[in-house]
Amino acid sequence: MTEDRFEELLGPYLLGELSVEEERELERHLEGCSGCRVELARARQSHDLLRGLAAGGPPAELKDRVLAQARGEIPARSRGGWRLWVPAAALLAIAILGAGLLWAITQGSSEGIPLTATVPASEGGGEVSGEVEGGNLQIELVVWGMPELRKDEYYELWYAKENGGRISCGTFRARPGGQTTVNLTAPVGATSYPEIEVTREPDDGNPGSSGEKVLVGDLRDL
Amino acid sequence: MFGQAVTGVEDEELIRRVAEGDDRALSLLYDRYSRPVYATGIRVLGDASLAEELVQDAFMNVWRAAGSFDPGRASFATWLYRITRNRAVDLDRRRQARPLSAGEEPLRSVTGGPEPEGGVDGWDVARALSRIPDEHREVLTLSYFEGLSQREISRRTGIPLGTIKSRTTVALKRLHRSLVNPAAEESQRD
Repeated sequence: MTEDRFEELLGPYLLGELSVEEERELERHLEGCSGCRVELARARQSHDLLRGLAAGGPPAELKDRVLAQARGEIPARSRGGWRLWVPAAALLAIAILGAGLLWAITQGSSEGIPLTATVPASEGGGEVSGEVEGGNLQIELVVWGMPELRKDEYYELWYAKENGGRISCGTFRARPGGQTTVNLTAPVGATSYPEIEVTREPDDGNPGSSGEKVLVGDLRDL
Repeated sequence: MFGQAVTGVEDEELIRRVAEGDDRALSLLYDRYSRPVYATGIRVLGDASLAEELVQDAFMNVWRAAGSFDPGRASFATWLYRITRNRAVDLDRRRQARPLSAGEEPLRSVTGGPEPEGGVDGWDVARALSRIPDEHREVLTLSYFEGLSQREISRRTGIPLGTIKSRTTVALKRLHRSLVNPAAEESQRD
């Protein structure tokens, strides 16, 4: 057997897949070949890590449950809405207010920002909390009692201004029963928009808001 | 399973497809990362059923929020780790709303993740696996995660047994390199 051939057998050796004769021959070679011993040590590290990872997996049927649930919901679409162009001067003008609101979201309230239902979702409610990571705000939205959506609808979270300006933070659907928790991302600048809205949106390709508010929150109430 | 073109795709491309509603892409990401998510659940929640709930919640968050993933900010593994960490905290909060059962412990600190301070955990291995070539990932996945013998892998893939054996060895070495020197593995892949 050649040097290269011995080296090729290291993987099957670790897996216990060599014949008795092959194994014996390889082990004799390893005693005298430091290069192959180094390669074996490297391969063994990968082997041990893979075995550890494989041993700790979730039950196989869980994957079916996750995929079945996913197929019953549309995913959030990649959208450009929250990347709306905002003039730099306007950003500067609202920076002080924004800093205060950002503090409110990330530090000022351990309970997060409460969202209250509008009439169409009288039993609904929610809460928004977030933390700054990198240049963005990582938002966690918890909702409950949300009205059931049609298949061609979804919910969308917005930061909004009184004059109608909005930044989308992402879309989602609620679970049967109307509750869910989702993680969304928004630019830190979004926190200068003092209102939070969850709207019901038709899946018609229009990135703008339908204006059909389901939940609303106001950072200025804190 | 690995015959479809999508299997060789990197995480960031898969998550883009998830955002378009491709559940096959979600399935592949699940195959790659459900184990470290589950292991995190076991480690920090100390309860198998809560760890399963964590896996389900985390991947449903991936499905729902795929459109907000920004590859310029973080890798998919890092993004998923944050989701996992946040969901684990939520699950623990919910558990704290009821009395602990005998032997049940409160949340352990969430450490590790795709960029750990030291050592190697399941997140690193999953991420390293995603970086090696598809043909190498295939033999390792079939061998370690599906428990197939080298001969069974040969039959399943139609590749000669001798090639499977040598490919397994090369794959283990590539995985090792991907773990210790991710940048080199990325550049070789490119």
